[in-house]
Amino acid sequence: MIRIEKASFNYGSVEVFKNLNITIKEQNNISIVGHSGCGKTSLLYCIKGLKTLSEGTIYLDGISQKDIGLLFQEDRLLPWKTVRNNILLGLDKNLDVQQYIDMVGLKGHENKYPAQLSGGERQRVALARVLVRQPKLLLLDEPTASLDELTKESLQDSILKLSKELKMSLILVTHHIEEAVYMGDRVIIFGDQMKEIDTIGNNRLSEKYFENVKQVRLALKGRAHE
Amino acid sequence: MNKGYFIKGALLLLIPWYIISFTFSIPIVPFPHLVLMEAFSELIKGEVLLHLLISLYRVLSGILFALLIAIPLGIVMGLKNTTNKLFTPIIYLFQPVPKIALLPIFLVLFGIGDLSKILIVSMVIFFPAVLMIKDSVAEINYNYVELAKAYHLSKNQVLKDIILPSILPSIFSTLRISVGISLSVLFFSENFATSYGIGYYIMNSWIMVNYLKMYTGIVFISLLGIFLYKSIEIIEKKLMPWKSATPSNRT
Repeated sequence: MIRIEKASFNYGSVEVFKNLNITIKEQNNISIVGHSGCGKTSLLYCIKGLKTLSEGTIYLDGISQKDIGLLFQEDRLLPWKTVRNNILLGLDKNLDVQQYIDMVGLKGHENKYPAQLSGGERQRVALARVLVRQPKLLLLDEPTASLDELTKESLQDSILKLSKELKMSLILVTHHIEEAVYMGDRVIIFGDQMKEIDTIGNNRLSEKYFENVKQVRLALKGRAHE
Repeated sequence: MNKGYFIKGALLLLIPWYIISFTFSIPIVPFPHLVLMEAFSELIKGEVLLHLLISLYRVLSGILFALLIAIPLGIVMGLKNTTNKLFTPIIYLFQPVPKIALLPIFLVLFGIGDLSKILIVSMVIFFPAVLMIKDSVAEINYNYVELAKAYHLSKNQVLKDIILPSILPSIFSTLRISVGISLSVLFFSENFATSYGIGYYIMNSWIMVNYLKMYTGIVFISLLGIFLYKSIEIIEKKLMPWKSATPSNRT
């Protein structure tokens, strides 16, 4: 579906990441963890075409840029548009978006403005706005960063459920190891020499989950001492 | 408007007015009730309404004309640095000039009819409007620019869905600030080469030593101001319903 080869990205004279190689297959979720400033978000923006790689290539196989959805860290809802009109941003106004509003659990909030919603609800609107475009690949940039623990888990479950229903692949960038392990079939520890840990089939209460969290934590700590 | 505050506000105006009228006891400061009686009688006769409507037509045309130029120019200046660099010095040069000083030139260039009066009102609105619009376009949150790119919005969609709603608050702030000044300028311009308009009505009454009628005109020009401010408020609420939506306290 997507192949990133020998990718490097510089921010001015600062080298953010270099010689990166990642392959993502269909209906395969990956999580990316790493320290602040290591270029996780920049990589997502490069995949979405909002930034350009300094070197290397991103190959899209069987998908176009329009098949890639990006859920930003902040909801980025337009304050002057209602929930329904935010979801319909740039689309035909007569398109039926009710099923997406229902999917993200916002039935009854259609005509509210963003200022009338809680942080979690706003992020759900942003999710519906991405989903209505039916992306094949969904990029998630720390989508739960500003949410409380319960809202965070509820949104994570919704995203996973919908990604299965809509047959999407996910690339999640996060600072939270537990989130990375729970959401990803594999976790990539971002850095000069990338490490990958297989984390498929997790359940928040299983032993394997705790073991994977431990492994990712150790790998990340190891990266800090490199 | 709260009825209690209206009465208190009216008393705050009427009591000093009565005191001054009583103290000086000269025709140029008539008692408020005499002015009100004259105002009713003038309203029934209908002549003052004609003057008011003509002034309203001039001020509204002036506002619309100013916005028609200021909105596109402000947007382009906010988006394009070269246009901004070209026009900003010209605007800074003309902005501090008292617009009424340009009236003789306007009367020669655009005639003694309505056009020169409408254009002078436009000048009052245009300069602050174009600067405010330019600044609010330049200050549009970069997050929305990225959003537009990520959602593959066309230029028209960016204009309609992001730029225009972003500049609406600036447009209404400008109107609120400038509409009073534009009425003052209109009043002055209606003293030249015209027999219609509330400015003419007031000054003509003064020349004819009809002070009650003159005060009637002043009351009506104030009411015209209130009407314009209230209309701006109503249109603002209509066009920006999200501003008055009850905010959530939840996080």
